[in-house]
Amino acid sequence: MAPNLAEFILDRAYSAVVSMDEDGLVTAWNPSAEAIFGRRREEALGRPVAELIIPERMRAAHREGLRRFLATGEGRVLERRLELQALRADGTEFPVEFTISPLEDEGRWSFHAFVRDVSERVEADRERERLVEELNRALHWSERRFEAIVGSLSDAITIRDQNHRFLYANPAAVAHLGFGSWEELRDTAPDTIMSDFAVSGEDGREISMADIPSVRILRGESAEPLLIRTVHRETHVVHWNLLKSAPLLAEDGEIEATITIIEDVTEQKRAEQRSAFLAQASEILASSLDYEQTLRNVAELAVPEVADWCAVDLVDDDGDRVKVAVAHVNPERLSLAEELRAYEPERLDPNQGLGYVFRTGDSLLYPEIPPEMLVAAAVDEHHMELIRAVGLHSALVVPMRIGARTLGAVTLVTSESRRSLDAFDLQLAEQVAARAAVAIENSRLYSQRSSIARTLQQSLLPEQLPEIPDFELASVYLPAMQGSLVGGDFYDVWSVGESWMAIIGDVTGKGVEAAALTALVRYTMRTAAEFLASPAELLAQVDATLKHRSALSVCTALCLRLDGDRATIAVGGHPLPLYITGDGVTKLGEHGPLLGAFTEAVWEDTTVELAPGSTLVAYTDGITDAVDEERRRFGIDRLQDALRDVAGRTAVEVAECLTGALAAFQTGSHADDTAAIVLHRPVPAAAPVSGGGRESHDDRLAGVRHGQTD
Amino acid sequence: MVRPTEFKIAHRATDAGVTLKITGELDLSTGPVLAGSVEGLPHDLKALTLDLSELTFMDSTGLRILIELDQRSKRDDWKLILIRPRHETAAAVLKATGADSALPFQDAPKA
Repeated sequence: MAPNLAEFILDRAYSAVVSMDEDGLVTAWNPSAEAIFGRRREEALGRPVAELIIPERMRAAHREGLRRFLATGEGRVLERRLELQALRADGTEFPVEFTISPLEDEGRWSFHAFVRDVSERVEADRERERLVEELNRALHWSERRFEAIVGSLSDAITIRDQNHRFLYANPAAVAHLGFGSWEELRDTAPDTIMSDFAVSGEDGREISMADIPSVRILRGESAEPLLIRTVHRETHVVHWNLLKSAPLLAEDGEIEATITIIEDVTEQKRAEQRSAFLAQASEILASSLDYEQTLRNVAELAVPEVADWCAVDLVDDDGDRVKVAVAHVNPERLSLAEELRAYEPERLDPNQGLGYVFRTGDSLLYPEIPPEMLVAAAVDEHHMELIRAVGLHSALVVPMRIGARTLGAVTLVTSESRRSLDAFDLQLAEQVAARAAVAIENSRLYSQRSSIARTLQQSLLPEQLPEIPDFELASVYLPAMQGSLVGGDFYDVWSVGESWMAIIGDVTGKGVEAAALTALVRYTMRTAAEFLASPAELLAQVDATLKHRSALSVCTALCLRLDGDRATIAVGGHPLPLYITGDGVTKLGEHGPLLGAFTEAVWEDTTVELAPGSTLVAYTDGITDAVDEERRRFGIDRLQDALRDVAGRTAVEVAECLTGALAAFQTGSHADDTAAIVLHRPVPAAAPVSGGGRESHDDRLAGVRHGQTD
Repeated sequence: MVRPTEFKIAHRATDAGVTLKITGELDLSTGPVLAGSVEGLPHDLKALTLDLSELTFMDSTGLRILIELDQRSKRDDWKLILIRPRHETAAAVLKATGADSALPFQDAPKA
């Protein structure tokens, strides 16, 4: 190769070319070498290569290598692609890739290095590594973020593959399914997990794996959320879960896995059941005044809803127990429970169990009855056997209390279900017991009070109706049957100067309060009528008086003022009076609001002339609300029909017709008070009224009074 | 044979409040059941809707409960909504006693 050609190539080579002789001195240094090492050719030629481009720490190895080659012909670095750090003129280092080729010429060796600066490539490699590392970190982070979000949810979340195996379960799901760790859950066969629980739907029907939403999704069905009740077969812990599933689709649209959210709705479900249970218990307690029977019904309601057996005891006047009711989930074992109760003494230990609750009025809860407690309670061998046979697991005792007085206690026990009663059950039992206490108290007081109230109420009715010139007056009063809630119908007729006043009404409420209210209304009317002529104003006065009372006091009333043959009527929440003539039966007056009930209330007077031969009937809703054996109501239509043919008859005959129609319609006695006033204006020329002045003794016509003295 | 009163209270609770839907006759015998249900309402009640659309009969016992609820709602500051009965007998009692205009009644949605 001609020297100038070699020079031409060297000058234009992309690689730096550095040559040295046997002494390690530079003999060639091309422009690329100038560029990458930052040193001009003139400066480099003739100087040791080691000083120029080899970092100090590698110079000894360089010199040793050169010496060895010249001595032995062995060269470790020769003819190989190497990568090392090189030195620039400014003392900085940079990565280079190079090969060194030895060349012998006339017995002397020269060495030629082809060097490339690989800083950029190394930098790019580093950058790639950094990116990979960052990517890994990011992936890890997103996994952690997923875990942070899903893992911390209190709702259990699981992801299952097509074979129902768990791909993922957050800690809530792991715990919920009764596992100690995710690994344990992952390694358990799916059907084994389900077999630990008795699973049923809301309707009590058993739920199988095939009904589970995630399984239905995999079958290609739509999956509505499913509410299930699980009972762990060992712990007997009950859970209500709402299962919601959605498919996870692969890129091709196939279902790859399913994600399921298991929402624990146990608390809501129990609250729902509790309010339903309380409503039912209230209904039972309100259904009858026979409290012993209602308590038995409540005991039966508690089983098996709340416990396996339920006992109700009352405290008598001496502080001793009176057993009232016991109900057992398994009727065959009822005798066992009864036998066990026979062991319990009448006079209880005031420091434990029922005796403690009777004495203190505090509740007791034993989530799990310790065996030693049972042993301590056993009186003898047989008793112990009984206790074992019943298998008491958990118990609670709550008082039935009115204020500071304890009337009795409700005991709930679980045995065969092995369910542990908890604070929630205790609260429920306390609420039922509180209601039961009120029911007992009410019915105890009722028998005394109802007779007092009955006497009071009836004493408030006028003993005898006054005589109104040119008119006949009769009344009907049928008290509500004994033992029902006392109604509060009343009426009154009296004179104010030349005028006559008549009122009829119905106080809502019961017992003595109703009687007191009746008295208040009557005396307010009588007093106010002395200075108020308008019935509407009288009603307003009574309304204001009732509103002054602290307790809600409402009543219906019809007020009538009779001046000669002109009647002025005002009605407050009461049925309109019926006006009977030969032309038929019509209603009189305008409906006005109930008295004592509403803040803004106005009543209106209606004035009519009572024609000769006409009759006015004012009545309470005891008549129209009366029921027959098919629970149909007597109603206004039947009432009008009954009165259609009485035009022109005497007041007493009209009253008798009314009671007769009612007696023929309704079976048994009246649920509510029934009252009516009949005001008849005889035709002046008519003959003396037949039947007047005589109290009827016909049973069907009982209750008819009249306004004419003998 | 006495046909039992088909009296029913359906309870539905949402975040917004409680709805009690009453079916059947509200009278002396069933009034205490409603009174009991109302007594058991939460103390922090926000709103109560008493749906009377399927009520077939009402006497003063039922009326008294409505008035008491109205007073309680104003005192304890919660909202009471009453849905008017569709049945004429029950609706007539409310009109005759002034309750229909004095209490917060709303029309039942068209059946």
